[in-house]
Amino acid sequence: MIDITQNPVSTATPKVRFSPRRVWTLAMATVTQLIRMKILAFLVLFCLLAAGAGFAFSVINPEQQLNLLKSVTLGALQIFSIVIGVVSTALLLPKDLEDRTLYTILSKPVPRFDYLLGKLLGVLLLIGGGLIVMDVVLSLVLWLRQTMLLDSYVASLRLENMDSPEALAQVREIVAKQGLTWNLHWAVWAIFLKAAVVTTVALLLSSIASSTLFTIVITFCVTIIGHGESLIREFFFRPYLSSLAGRSAAFVLAALCPDLAQFDIVDSVVNGETVPWGAIYDMTGIAALYMTVYLFVTHLLFVEKEL
Amino acid sequence: MRRKLLAIAVLAIFGAVKLPLEERVTHDLRGRRMLAEPLRLGVGEDLGQAGLAAALGGLRGLAACMFQLRAHVEFTNVNWAKVDSLYKLVTRLQPRQARYWDEASWHMAYNAASYYLYNQELKPALRGQLYHDHVMRGVAILEEGLKFLPDNPRLWQKLGETHWHRTKEFKKAGDAYWESFQHGGLAFTERFAGYAWAQSNDPESWRKGYALLKRLYDKGGPTPGLVEYLKLLEQNLKIPAARRIPDLVPLRKGPDPQEGPVR
Amino acid sequence: MPDTPAVIVNHLTKVFKGPLGKGAFRAVHDLSLQVKSGEVYGLIGPNGSGKSTTMKAVLGLLKPTEGSTSIFGIPSTEVSSRHSVGFLPENPYFYKHLTGRETLHFYGSLCDMRGEKLKTRVNEMLALTGLEDAATRRVGGYSKGMLQRLGLAQALIHEPRLLVLDEPTAGVDPAGSRIIRDLIIEFRTRGITVLVTSHLLEQMQEVCDRVGIMAHGRMVREGRLQDLIAVGNQTEMVLENASPELQEKIKALVQAEGGNTRLLRSGQPRTTLERLFIEAANEPKKP
Repeated sequence: MIDITQNPVSTATPKVRFSPRRVWTLAMATVTQLIRMKILAFLVLFCLLAAGAGFAFSVINPEQQLNLLKSVTLGALQIFSIVIGVVSTALLLPKDLEDRTLYTILSKPVPRFDYLLGKLLGVLLLIGGGLIVMDVVLSLVLWLRQTMLLDSYVASLRLENMDSPEALAQVREIVAKQGLTWNLHWAVWAIFLKAAVVTTVALLLSSIASSTLFTIVITFCVTIIGHGESLIREFFFRPYLSSLAGRSAAFVLAALCPDLAQFDIVDSVVNGETVPWGAIYDMTGIAALYMTVYLFVTHLLFVEKEL
Repeated sequence: MRRKLLAIAVLAIFGAVKLPLEERVTHDLRGRRMLAEPLRLGVGEDLGQAGLAAALGGLRGLAACMFQLRAHVEFTNVNWAKVDSLYKLVTRLQPRQARYWDEASWHMAYNAASYYLYNQELKPALRGQLYHDHVMRGVAILEEGLKFLPDNPRLWQKLGETHWHRTKEFKKAGDAYWESFQHGGLAFTERFAGYAWAQSNDPESWRKGYALLKRLYDKGGPTPGLVEYLKLLEQNLKIPAARRIPDLVPLRKGPDPQEGPVR
Repeated sequence: MPDTPAVIVNHLTKVFKGPLGKGAFRAVHDLSLQVKSGEVYGLIGPNGSGKSTTMKAVLGLLKPTEGSTSIFGIPSTEVSSRHSVGFLPENPYFYKHLTGRETLHFYGSLCDMRGEKLKTRVNEMLALTGLEDAATRRVGGYSKGMLQRLGLAQALIHEPRLLVLDEPTAGVDPAGSRIIRDLIIEFRTRGITVLVTSHLLEQMQEVCDRVGIMAHGRMVREGRLQDLIAVGNQTEMVLENASPELQEKIKALVQAEGGNTRLLRSGQPRTTLERLFIEAANEPKKP
């Protein structure tokens, strides 16, 4: 016979504190769940896209080709990370509630904050993992393409007897600037930060929303407004631009939405600009601030939620 | 309920506090050339819904890429007006990207201009006019790009090349090459500034060109081109024979160009 | 603290507010009850009588509008009260992409169990609920009865002193629900307190020490099961192989007794359909 209760009367009931291990358990369950939902099939699509963008359009010059490869793939990365973040966050919380999985979890000694953080961390791990894989694929394709393009361009210059040191130096410089550099990875980091902020917003909304669709739609609205928040802010800070009512509306919108354009360094990176450390600190710091405050607000709302 | 009110209060206070902070970070990042300036669309520039959504959704680079590909299709269809208007959108979306200005200008000043110049179906006078108009459009594009990127050596170099090869305004070409070199352009732009000044009609430019080329000459390693243009400048500026540099090869006496240069 | 009741519900009232504060609905009204340590307490009542709301309040999933609830003396609003309780919700679903074993592992880790101890406990629970063969299958492919048993296993994973079961046999076939019923009886012998709701009264009758009957959010009857259902002035007698003559003699004896004594009915008792079903289902498979 199996003993069900080896210790039927345990009088000590320790106080439940925040536990990173518990958060990790919840995060890993979330990751496993999402992976087994085949949500990462997007990765395969991305690889095809990267290969396509890398080797199609051979009519245009090397610089254009490398530029196009980076623009298209980094753009796809942005879309991937935000869509995955929003949709999976919007799906997970209501689904747990609907399936009563939430009851079984929260009827264990699990503080609600641990649950929220675990879910968020799970989605972020998934996005982060996906971005790392795609970064590796992109780097590989870019490096291959860069080497091939440089070789063929130099060969064609040589063929036309135009391979003066100046011309070769210029081609090398352009290709090196447009090719694989550390900046590319910082761009991916910025994409991750943006997706992380949007995911936290989705978590906040899903803690008050009554339907998945509501969460998804409103989060995408916030995402779009968030990209134009700097323009809205301008309306608020420059009184001559609009009336009092206009400024009040601008204030409400700007105060509610995070400024997502702050993470849009992708274009500059594609352009070949070097990302300074200061910019990385700025972006990481502001993303951490958004996430901390939004997570705190989510906790305030979720801790009182009637299940 | 109390916590809900607290949540709303936290959101409102954070919203008010974050605005100046965001303003500072954005300003900082723009200063570091990490963020683009806000999108300013003129009247009659139609991004289309997809383009606008992409631009607002943080995908300006991608939208620009797509418009550029469309421009490429129009280029193969030799629809120059469309190429120009599409590149206008591309450069609006990505004004800090020099290569878009470069390509836009190249399409106008070289491809479109040459297309009209050699179009046998047009009247000769019209051909000349269209050639001139498109070259000037190319120059205008580069000049506009330089407003966004005043210290971009590549755009200055391209402006120099366009003035040299297309408008034949050598003073402007020389000035542009010189700017390119000043902003870290490739080594040859320094020489080319001198060469262009040498061919101009402006005595002040001749003096600048002479000083520049003479300095390069004295540093050693004179190339045939350097010597040729220096000789030209010596003539223009009437430099006394004693201070003139020796010819690289003997001057030719007869009409056969193979025998050497003439003065 | 052997005398501390496992569950105390003290004047619990729960009002659900409608949108914009309109259309408020009172689900539970001034309810008080106690579940003693070690007993099986059945909370019964029609759908919508407030049973599940009461359970959620006990588990801290809902905040009482008035009154309070506690588990072994610790208020339900404190997370630490959940150390000593395991909960099986009605029709539970689990992360369907996890296997049975992974699911139990997940719930065990949430309770700060780890390593060899967790592994052993998971195996024990799989064995107890008869899910060993299905342990490596994904939960998405489980039948309703298996899900219910997995639910029991997760509720027990951290060795709680109290089990709260919400409609544990709803939607489960008779064989499955018999297994669950047997498990509940087993828990009682092991000293685990059980608070169970159901509207399948016959099953409750077999397992509960005490029952409370709820209607419209209030407790309408409460007490020991035997006291509540015993019919004081009747006697039941079941005979085997009784000849018709003997039966006639008994009838005659009753008539002769006179007074208030009457024979109300006699005849062949019927087996329950449930018993018939289980017997048929357990017959060996024909080749």
